[in-house]
Amino acid sequence: MSTYKKRQFRLRIVSLLSILVFLAVWYVCTAVLRLAPAYSLPDPITVFQSFVTKLSSRVPDGATLPQHIWESFKIAMAGYLMGVVIGVPLGIAMGWVSWVEKIVRPVFDFLKPIPPIALIPVMITLFGIGIESKACIIFFSTVIPSIVNSYSGIKQTSQIHLWVARTFGASNLQQLFTVAIPSALPMIFAGLRVAMGVSWMGLVAAELMGATRGIGYMISTARNLLRADIIIVGLLTLGFIGIVISLVFDLIEIKFVRGGK
Amino acid sequence: MKVAASIKNFLLSLAGFAAILLIWQLGVSFTSVGNLLPSPWAVAVRFVTMCTNTVGRKYTLPMHLLVSLRRVLIGFGLSAASGIVIGIAMGRSDLIRAIVRPLFELVRPIPGVAWIPMAIVWFGIGETAKIFIIFIGGFVNIVVNTFSGSRQVDENILNAAYMLGANKVQAFFKIVIPSCVPYIFSGLQVGLSTSWMAVLAAEMVSATEGVGWIITAGQQNADMPQILAGIIAIAVTGLALASLMRLLERVLCRWRVRGS
Repeated sequence: MSTYKKRQFRLRIVSLLSILVFLAVWYVCTAVLRLAPAYSLPDPITVFQSFVTKLSSRVPDGATLPQHIWESFKIAMAGYLMGVVIGVPLGIAMGWVSWVEKIVRPVFDFLKPIPPIALIPVMITLFGIGIESKACIIFFSTVIPSIVNSYSGIKQTSQIHLWVARTFGASNLQQLFTVAIPSALPMIFAGLRVAMGVSWMGLVAAELMGATRGIGYMISTARNLLRADIIIVGLLTLGFIGIVISLVFDLIEIKFVRGGK
Repeated sequence: MKVAASIKNFLLSLAGFAAILLIWQLGVSFTSVGNLLPSPWAVAVRFVTMCTNTVGRKYTLPMHLLVSLRRVLIGFGLSAASGIVIGIAMGRSDLIRAIVRPLFELVRPIPGVAWIPMAIVWFGIGETAKIFIIFIGGFVNIVVNTFSGSRQVDENILNAAYMLGANKVQAFFKIVIPSCVPYIFSGLQVGLSTSWMAVLAAEMVSATEGVGWIITAGQQNADMPQILAGIIAIAVTGLALASLMRLLERVLCRWRVRGS
């Protein structure tokens, strides 16, 4: 083994130790020394047991963990897809066609600085606490980054490439589809990634404030019942879903944006 | 020529803005939208009365804004200070990266807002809980950006400095830090807007003052003008915070301004 490899291997071990030490300190502080009461910080083993029970048990919030995840996922996807399907073409049109930019830009500049979380009360007043209000909030949090990134992606197309295309007689639409959009793709994709993060945050906030199911609802019910173990299970579930989503995005990006590299 | 163009652009966006208000007003006056939304005029009047009269028990709208801003500044200050230090340490030392990264990766994907219930269980519903939530919201973005910035320091420049006799401390302050600054700023920029969102969420879940509270109080009284006036105040403040950060970036790293 080369020294470099040896060093990398040693660092891996340190990383592993770091997690183990973290869990051990957590366990000793809670289960052995009892520095914090169980309702505020349970020990890691209790949390793990709660996770396993929650997979199949409806106690205390009326649904199992997979049901909560599915409910949140459904709403997130509905709002997210709507936001992307409307936002990306609109952003591209804004970047390419100047009269669209002139019309949409002021509306957009007016809406852009409003944090989606601030809209939750408006949406709840207008649509109640059902799926519509949450999907609207996610739609709103998705559509803004989709537009911003598609717009600036198109705007950053190299003029020289466009000139070359024009010299060879490409029509306006050909220039858009063969030059501008492909070169804006990485930027658009970054927008979709940002949008996913923001919409997930908006969803959790919406579920904390008004819901009957979903991971945010599970966490806020657990808070009312002082079940910190379930809150931590919820947080870790959210983190895990975040990791899975970002892996899926990596795969799509490698396959479609960087041409399989 | 350039001045004329920018005046023209300004007038165009002013016209667009006026058009939105006009459509809104017409929609409220002549269609059933009026049952759900107040007119822009009503919101404007409400905005002015909220600035002069108290909303809730003791604060006017500007005072509520100051309360929220104070929370953001404390939380964001803490996350900036610790985030930059941890980010740079993780970027420049293999050992620290090996220790901190797995723990950080555990926290990173959890949306800041989701910490609200945990924060309330740990710290109660007082100031500490809100500052904790704002801290978490900003911290993650700042660490991620500072980390990637400090990984992208040009090794050639660093080696040149060592060859010319710079010691580790000099190399750190003269080369590593300056070349991280643009990345740190993009982290601070994102972190600040996330913190502003986090304070809203925290105040909406539990508070007795602050702009987030104004909105939820409006919702509880079915007082749409108050909600919308609150949203406008929040949007304008958010915009002002972002512009301030941008200005600071222009002043502090003039050699490399992102975008334009």
